[in-house]
Parts: sequence; C-alpha cells; structure tokens
Amino acid sequence: MIELASLSTAALHLPAILGEGAHAVTIPSAIASPEFAWAGLILLLPAISAALCGLCAAFGVKSKLPGAITAISLIAAFATTLSLYLKMPADAPRVVHLFDWIDFSWKTGGATWTQFLAPFSLYIDSLTLLWMLFVTGLGSLIAIYATEYMEADTGKGYARFFGSVSIFLFAMGSLVMGGNLILLYLGWEGVGLASYLLIGYYYNRPSAVAAAKKAFIMNRIGDLGLALGVFLIWINYGTLEYDGIFKALAHTADPASGASWSAAMIPYCLMLGAFGKSAQIPLFVWLPDAMEGPTPVSALIHAATMVTAGLYLIARTYPLFALEPHALTVVAIVGCSTAFVAATIGMAQYDIKRVMAYSTVSQLGYMFLGLGVGTTFGAVYHVFTHAFFKALLFLCCGAIMHGMAGQLDLRKMSGLRNVKGFGVISWTFLIGCLCLAGFPFTAGFFSKDSIIAQAFASGNPTFVTLGWLALLTAFLTAYYTFRVWFRVCGGPTKYEPGDEMHGHDDHGHDHGNGHGHGHGHDDHGHGHAAHGNHEWHPHGPRLAINGVLLVICLGAVLAAVPAYMAMRGEANWVETMVQHSSAALPSAEHGHGGEHAHHALSFTGIEDVHKATSVVASTVGILGILIAAYFHLLNRSAADKLRQALLSNSLTRWLPLAMENKWYVDEVYHVVFRFPASVLGHVFHFIDKHVIDGFVVNGGARVPLEVGRLFQPLYNGALQGYAATMAGGIALIAAWVFWIWLHGS
Amino acid sequence: MTENLRDRGMDCALYSSYSSPIATVTLLEAAPAVSPALALTVAAAISAAGLAMLMQPGRRGLRLAGTVIGLAGFAMLMVEVLKRATAGAPEGGFPPVFPVIFGFLAMVGAVRMITSPRPVFAALYFILVVIATAGMFLLLGAEFMAFALVIVYAGAILITYMFVLMLAQQSPVAGEGDAWYDRVPREAISAVIVGFVMLATLGDAYFSPAAQRFRDDTSIVSARAGEQAAWQRLESMPKLLLETARKAEPKTAAVVSTNFDELSNRSKNATLKVTLDDGTSKDIALDAALLPENSRQVGVDLVSRYPAGLEIAGVVLLMALFGAVILARKQIELGEDERRGIAGMRRLTVDGEAGGSR
Amino acid sequence: MSNMMAQTINTLAVTDAQTVNAALLVSAILFACGLIGFLSRRNMIIMFLCTELMFQAAALAMIAFGNIHHDISGQVFVIFILTVAAAEAALALGLVVLLYRRRETLDSEAWSELRETA
Repeated sequence: MIELASLSTAALHLPAILGEGAHAVTIPSAIASPEFAWAGLILLLPAISAALCGLCAAFGVKSKLPGAITAISLIAAFATTLSLYLKMPADAPRVVHLFDWIDFSWKTGGATWTQFLAPFSLYIDSLTLLWMLFVTGLGSLIAIYATEYMEADTGKGYARFFGSVSIFLFAMGSLVMGGNLILLYLGWEGVGLASYLLIGYYYNRPSAVAAAKKAFIMNRIGDLGLALGVFLIWINYGTLEYDGIFKALAHTADPASGASWSAAMIPYCLMLGAFGKSAQIPLFVWLPDAMEGPTPVSALIHAATMVTAGLYLIARTYPLFALEPHALTVVAIVGCSTAFVAATIGMAQYDIKRVMAYSTVSQLGYMFLGLGVGTTFGAVYHVFTHAFFKALLFLCCGAIMHGMAGQLDLRKMSGLRNVKGFGVISWTFLIGCLCLAGFPFTAGFFSKDSIIAQAFASGNPTFVTLGWLALLTAFLTAYYTFRVWFRVCGGPTKYEPGDEMHGHDDHGHDHGNGHGHGHGHDDHGHGHAAHGNHEWHPHGPRLAINGVLLVICLGAVLAAVPAYMAMRGEANWVETMVQHSSAALPSAEHGHGGEHAHHALSFTGIEDVHKATSVVASTVGILGILIAAYFHLLNRSAADKLRQALLSNSLTRWLPLAMENKWYVDEVYHVVFRFPASVLGHVFHFIDKHVIDGFVVNGGARVPLEVGRLFQPLYNGALQGYAATMAGGIALIAAWVFWIWLHGS
Repeated sequence: MTENLRDRGMDCALYSSYSSPIATVTLLEAAPAVSPALALTVAAAISAAGLAMLMQPGRRGLRLAGTVIGLAGFAMLMVEVLKRATAGAPEGGFPPVFPVIFGFLAMVGAVRMITSPRPVFAALYFILVVIATAGMFLLLGAEFMAFALVIVYAGAILITYMFVLMLAQQSPVAGEGDAWYDRVPREAISAVIVGFVMLATLGDAYFSPAAQRFRDDTSIVSARAGEQAAWQRLESMPKLLLETARKAEPKTAAVVSTNFDELSNRSKNATLKVTLDDGTSKDIALDAALLPENSRQVGVDLVSRYPAGLEIAGVVLLMALFGAVILARKQIELGEDERRGIAGMRRLTVDGEAGGSR
Repeated sequence: MSNMMAQTINTLAVTDAQTVNAALLVSAILFACGLIGFLSRRNMIIMFLCTELMFQAAALAMIAFGNIHHDISGQVFVIFILTVAAAEAALALGLVVLLYRRRETLDSEAWSELRETA
C-alpha cells in the first residue's frame, strides 16, 4: 500500500472521517491487455447457455438438458475466472477491450468534438476477480443444486429457469467486469430483469407475481439514482470509464476546494442505486418478498450475488464517495440501522426462508456499515464470507422445503437432525448458522468483527454509536439464527408436511400419497415419522443437493482461512485483493489500534480495539445462542409465554406486534406512497378518460364528423353539384392567389 | 385612330407612353370616386344579377328585366375596361368600334346559349360566339387562327353536336314543349354566384391597376423579345430570309450575316448584311412589317418550337378516333329493368340499387 | 379601317390596348358564361357545349396575351386547344350517345348512382 501510494503522481486525498492515518491513495492507471481477451468467455459462456436454454424451450426439450448446459457453462466460466485470477499480474488493473459498443461524437461549439465512448471492455482488478470468483463459483454450485431441486418442473419451466439463471450470470458478469458505468448499468438492469423473471417464476401464483413486481419497481427507484449518478459523472468528469474517472479524480479532485453541487450529488445518487439493489432502508422491503422465487434463486441472487451489487458499486466508486465528507457517514448510518431493523423483524418471523431473507438484509447492512466506517476490506470480506454461508443456509432451507413438501414454518418442524436423509442438511445448516451468528473462529465472526472493530477504532462518535448498535444487532442475529436451528433441527422429532398454501416451491407433489419418487425411495430412503401422517414421508435430498451443500459448507468454513493467515502474520488474501483495487484504503486498521488506548471498549481491559471487539462480539454471540437455546430448545413454551406477557401489557404490546408485522413498513409505504399515487393515478385516469380522450381526442374527432355532416348534402351524386363545389373552390383560391400577387399579402 | 395605331405599332418609343404607370395613375385619378376594382366588381355583380334573372324560366317580365340589367352590366364592364386603356387614344375619342361589336355579339351569343331552352338553338348561338370570337382573333392579328376556328369549330365540331342533338332529341311534340330538363336550369343562383366569383377574379387579375402595370412593364420587354425571336426563327430558314431581304432591298443577291441581337435591348431595328447583285455589300434595316405573314409564322413556330406538342396532338387525335370507333361499336344490352323504363313502365328498383345490368 | 385590317394581316402588330382589353374582358365573360352554363344546364350535350365555350374563352385569352407579348406561341397553343376540343367532342359525344341509349334521357341527374346514401 505504501508502495502504491509513493508510486502515485497525484495523490487522492481521503477525508478526515477515515481516520488520522488516512494517507493519499492513488489507483494505478489501467494497462490495456488484449492478451486477456479470453476473459470475455466469462461473459460469453452464460450468454451462450441462455441462448441454448431458449432453444431448448423453443423445441420443448423434456429432459434435464437445460440444467446440464447451464451447469457446464457456469463451471467453465468459473474455471476461466480461476485461470484469469492465476494469470493476472497484481500490479495494476487491466482493461480488456472486447469490441466497440457505443461510440459517437458531436460538435460542441467551434471545432471541438465531444466523444461519448462506452466500449464493451472489461476492467479487471483484484476486486473484480474476487467478486467474479465467488459469483461464478457459487453460481455453478447452485446450478448443480438446482438441476435436482427443479426436477419436478422438467419440461415445463425448467428451460425457463435455467435460461434466466444464465441471463443473470451474464448480467452479473457485465456488472462486475464491465470497464465502464454504462456496461455496469447494463448488467445492473440485466440482473434486475433476471431477478424479476425468477421471483415471478411461479407466475400462476398471485403472491409471486406481486413480489416480482414489487422487486422490480423498488429496484427502478434505486436505478433512477444510479442513472442520475452516471449522468452526473459524465457531466463532471467527461468519461464513464473507471480508468478515466480515477485519472480525472487524481488530477482534479481536491476535497478542500468546494466541489460543485453536481459533483457532490454523485455519491448520494449512486448510494440510492446501491440501496435499492442491496435492499437497504428505505428500499429493503422487496427482498423478503423475493423469497417467492425458487430457493436456489434466493440463495444465488437474493443472498449471495445480486444483492451485493450495491456493495460492489460503492466499492468500485469508492474514491468518489471519499470525496464527499458526509456520503460515507450516510452509508454507515443507513447500513447499521438496516442491520438492526431487519434483525428485529427476523426475530419474530416463523417462515424460515423469511428469517433468512431478513438476515440477508441485516448482513448487507453490516457490509454498508463497513464501507461507511472506512473498512472496505471488512465489507468485502463480509460479502465474501456471507456469500458462502448465506447461500449454504438458503440451500439448506430449500432442501428442507424440498423434502418436507414445501413446509417452511418453524413451528411445524422439529428435530430434523434425527430424520433419515436430513443429517447432511442439519449439520451443514448448523455450520451456516454458526457463521451467521458470528460464533468465534468462524468466517462470519472474522468478517463481522473487522467491521465492528473499525467502527470503534475510527474514534468518530457517530461511528462508535453505530458500533454499539452493531454489537446489539450481532446479539440479535445470534439469537434469531439459532432460534431457527434449534426449532427446526433440534428438539424432539416432529413434523407435518407443507400444504399448497404455504408451499413456496410448487413441486407438483401430490401431498399425501403422491410421494412416489422411485429414486427417492431406493437411494436414500426416508425418515419415517413416529407420529404424524402415516401416508406421507419426508424424503431426503439426493447426491446433487447433498454434494453441493457439503461443498458450499466447506467453502463457508474455508472462507475463514484468510483471517487465520492474517493472524499468523501473513497477508490476508482478501485484504490484499481489496487493497489492489479501486476500493483501496490507506491501511490504517492495524497500526491504528494502539494509538487509541481509550477506545470505546476499554472496559474490557484490552488495549487493541480489534482484540477487544473480538472478545465482546464473541461474548455477545454466544450469549445470543444461549438465550435461543433456552427459549427454543430447552423450554419452548417460555417463548410463547414471553410473547403473551408482552402482548398482555399495554405498554409493551407494540413490540412483538411491530416485529411480527415488519415494523409496518409495507403499510407505511402503502399509506405514504402507494395510496397517494393510487389517488393521483385515478385522478389522472379520470382526466385522461374524460378530458383528454373524451374532450380533446373524441371531441376533435367529432369536429370533422360534424363538418362532414354539414357538407354531406353537397355529395348528392349530381355531377354539377360536384362541379359547382370544385369550380367555386378554384375560383376562391384563384381570387386569393391573385389578390396576394397583385395587392401584396 | 388609324394614325395612332400605326404609330403605336411601329414606333417603339411609344411603348413607354403606352405603359407609363404615371399615365395609369392619372387615369385612375380622373375616374370617379369609386375605386376601380370596386367598379369592376360592381359591374360584374350587376351582369351576374341580370343573368340570374334571365335564367328564371317562364317569367317573361323577369327575363326582360334581366336582359336590360345584363346589358347594362356588360356596358359598364366594357366602359370600365376601355377606360383603362385610353392611353394613346385621343382624349374623349371614339371608342374602338370593332372590338365592342364583336364583344357584344360574343356576349349575347354566350348568354343566349346558356339560357335558351332549345338545345339546337343553343348550338346555333354557339356558332355566333365562334364567329364573334374569330372576329376578335382578326382584330388581334391572328388571322390564321380566326379562319381555323371558324372552319374547325363552326364547320366540324358544331356539326357533330348538331348531329348528336338531332339523334338524341326528338323534335318537341306540339303542346308538350321542350324537355323539362332543358327548360328548368338547376341551381341557377349558386351557379351564377360561382361564375360571378370567377368573373370578378379574372377581371381583377386582368384589369386591376397592379395587373395592368405588371402587364405593361413585362409586355415592352417581351414584345421586343418576341419580335427578336420571330426574326431569329428566320435564321434557320435561309430561303425565307432571302425573300424577306428582297422585300426590303429588291436587289439582294445573298444574305451575308444577320444582326438581330440589338433588338432586344436597344430600340433598333433588325439589320441584315447582304450582297447585292452588283457584288457590293450593304446593311439593310428590317421593319417589323417585313416579318412573314401570320399563318407562315404560326406554321414555322409550330414545327420549330413545338414539334413534340405537334406529335402529341396527333396522337391525341388518333386515340380519340380509336375511342370514338370503339364507343360507336359498343352494343348496349339493356337490362330488364331498363327495358321496362324505356317502355314507360314503372321501374322495379330504385336507381341507386338497379345498377347497369348488362 | 381598311388600313387597319391591312396592318393586322401583314404584320405581327401590337394591337391597341383597348382592343386587347376588350378581348380579355370578352374572354372572361365567355369563361364565366361557360362555367355557369355547365353548372346550371341539365342537358349533357349543352354541358359539353359549355365546355367548348370555356375552351373558346381560353383560346381568346391566349391570343390576346400572345398579342401583348408579341409572341406567336399564343396562337400555336390555340391549335392545341382546338385539337383537344375536337378529340373531346368526338369522345364525349360518343359517350353521351351511349348514355342516352341506356336511359333515353339527356338529363345528367339520371346518372347519380355514385352519390352517398345518406
């Protein structure tokens, strides 16, 4: 880092909020590398796969061919990414120009020409590679998982599903790898489209359609911000290529001199886009509803990859955020409050997928907090670890749902660890929960810890407050995570199958006796319930699902490795990756704690703020797990009693109600935005129907009609009638023409 | 008047006085307080009213009054128009007799033609119009066209009309009178209004001071250009040119060179350089009167300037011939309904629905 | 007078303005009369006769303007007008005869089948 800084010709100043150790950082200018043109395969393969899936749908393929195509092409894309990572020198970003896309020029006064250039090029630095590694890796794993998961839809929506997944991977690739903001925008809209298609996959279910529309519209609001941000960047810096923007920043930006308002607006606009895509306050309500989609989609798009696009955007344009003094503070506050609010909602949900959805929102909030308080490493590391363990958790939920005929209510399942065929699910689920809860020495623990620690370490009072809130959220997270696990996997074995009403994945299973999957019987057998419906048996997953669960579980565990390497004094791999990218920061974190002997956590007696945070956070996490164990494993009736007690007291009854009803955010939005918009829409509809259509259009159309009716008697079929009209017209026109000619106009 | 005419015809200097805007303005000031355009319009309106009254069938008194009013309107029109062109004419001089006579005849013929209830009379009145127009042509120096008009129109076309009329129209049975559709004009008033608008427009375009001025200004230049063009057309016809030169100088042996260029921009005559019989060369000035006579000029112009038009006219006539032959050969097969109609029985269907069942 | 006639016959003379104006006026009146006749007479033959009257008016105006502009083309165009008039007479009268044979009337209002059925 120091070397990079000293290499720089013009330093990029970071504002004081990043800490006193903030040094100048310059992003090295990109090197054009046509030799890496094969990196375009990462985009091309999913695109080809999408096209082939489309062909499969067109020809009505009844086999699992689309799934195989998608899985193979995504694995190939992952392999390409991996080899790109291995071959790419880390010295400077590489720009790979694939082909000219948008290129036009216009004259702006005199002889100067303004050029608008957006080539289809890739900007590859370590941040790109990091992102693409887990995007393509998890993408291929989840595609394999989905080949089994979606098998009930084979021949119906199968090709549609995998086509959409391929489109998503292509769009995500262009979002992350694109060399300019236009390409990013293309990918941004592309992932939005794929998300819409996949949430609304069960299009004959009204709730899925509503959720898809909600996600799409919420994202449009954010996209407006992104579009405005892109426009403002063009206006202020005259280029949309990352390389060009960073160069322009290095040459012109000086935070001391007041930047123009339009430049100051850029980070806020981009932020709005990021909040929309990453489901932060105020645009977070779409993500829980997005769970209407098939579970692999929830795991891939709505937990691991797409929702981190907002993080990627901010990390990629971090220098722009660093210029505006308050932008990052806003990001931190929004992120932290989202984390807290979502965690409180998650505590009170019974649908395990919804709990996971709220935990995603909450964890995304952590990531934004990390970006805001100035640890891009922490944020990106949390993205990285979260991608694994949250995908794992979702896939476990999906596997449970798959086996339990769509059952998702945690009150109706218990002790699944003892059900035959659900062992792998239960134990991988446990590992995912440990990571999410921040149990010491798991991947989630390290990444979350680095964020909270940076909040305390910054010394900024706002950030310290946020840090306390984040700690509280960590406690809540541990509680609600293990509430789910203890309820579902712990305790006595007891379950009932889901019904059509509750089933989030319509498998076409005939509950009751339709569980005639020969494969399921022969290969795995099924847990035979001691009690419950004798004609119905849950069926455990087969090789594809179990294998993928194990692999991702391994990934979630191994995601902690970089942190262990850092503990051993070696470079943290993720940190290295981040520091070699545009999200690089002065490495103030480590040499920093000592200077703050009196940090907020001094009461622990540990001087290094990181160590102190680790201790406090792990204590809090374990405390949360223990409380969850008491309420949901040892004494399950206590939870209901507590709820009843809270509800009976008029002073506290708002709390469980608000939490169960998601803080009434949807209702508030309904009243504040949707209702006025609806009224306005009716008003405009009335105006359109009666004023525009009725008066202007139809009235205008009636004028010639009436005039025509007036003159209709002229057209009586008598030759001379027509002749008189014609001759009179000619005479009048001639009179007019002669008058103008002879007497002037 | 004759003197005056000769001067005007020969002397280019007179053009300026003839067309002087000042002269026109003086004339206008001399006119009564009524504005000239208004006077023309009022005259046209009066004649239109007269015509409208004339077209009321069966009311003798009204028709008589219409005749009187129409004549008065025509007289007003004539006076107005002639007043505008008195430049060069002696003050308070005698109005031009022949144009007035021919114009009167043409007008009476036309009005009678459109008011007469008998088609044959209408055709005969049209012959009167043709003859009067031919007289006008003569006055305007177009004697070839005057005779061609009489021969072609009165002699050929009108005879055809007469034939058709006699073919189609049985002579009126005693007591029954003319066919009702010949007696009763349709929408006479609106037709007269349209015609009046047309007449007023044309009158304004022809005779308003601005139009007059415009015509005078352009006519000087174009008249000289026209004379020049007439001379220049002779250049391509050496025999005719030599003939013309001999008219001016009988001893001409050959034409050496022509000089018609100065005619257009200076008030000079066309000149020729000729060699005489004795071998000496001489420049001779050519008077406009020496140009070939009218029919020769028309012929030369027709074949040298409008050969394509001539060809097309021939094709049109040929096609008309073919068309007439085909139409004449066509046998009409009458439908049952039409046979009933002809036989005086009630038709089975209404006109619109019957269609031509053939 | 005879002098004048000789003049006009022998030369392409510019006739005096009064004659020209009278000719133009007569032409306008003839045209208006032809138009009125065409619009008000019901007899198809008379209607065509009225178009001939309008041709006359056009021819007269042509010659008058040709006289003003000293251009023989005015007279040449009258030849073309005569051509068209002759062709029109031949065809139109043939058509009138056909129509007459079908309806036994020359009334143009007998042929109003193309009217709007209100």
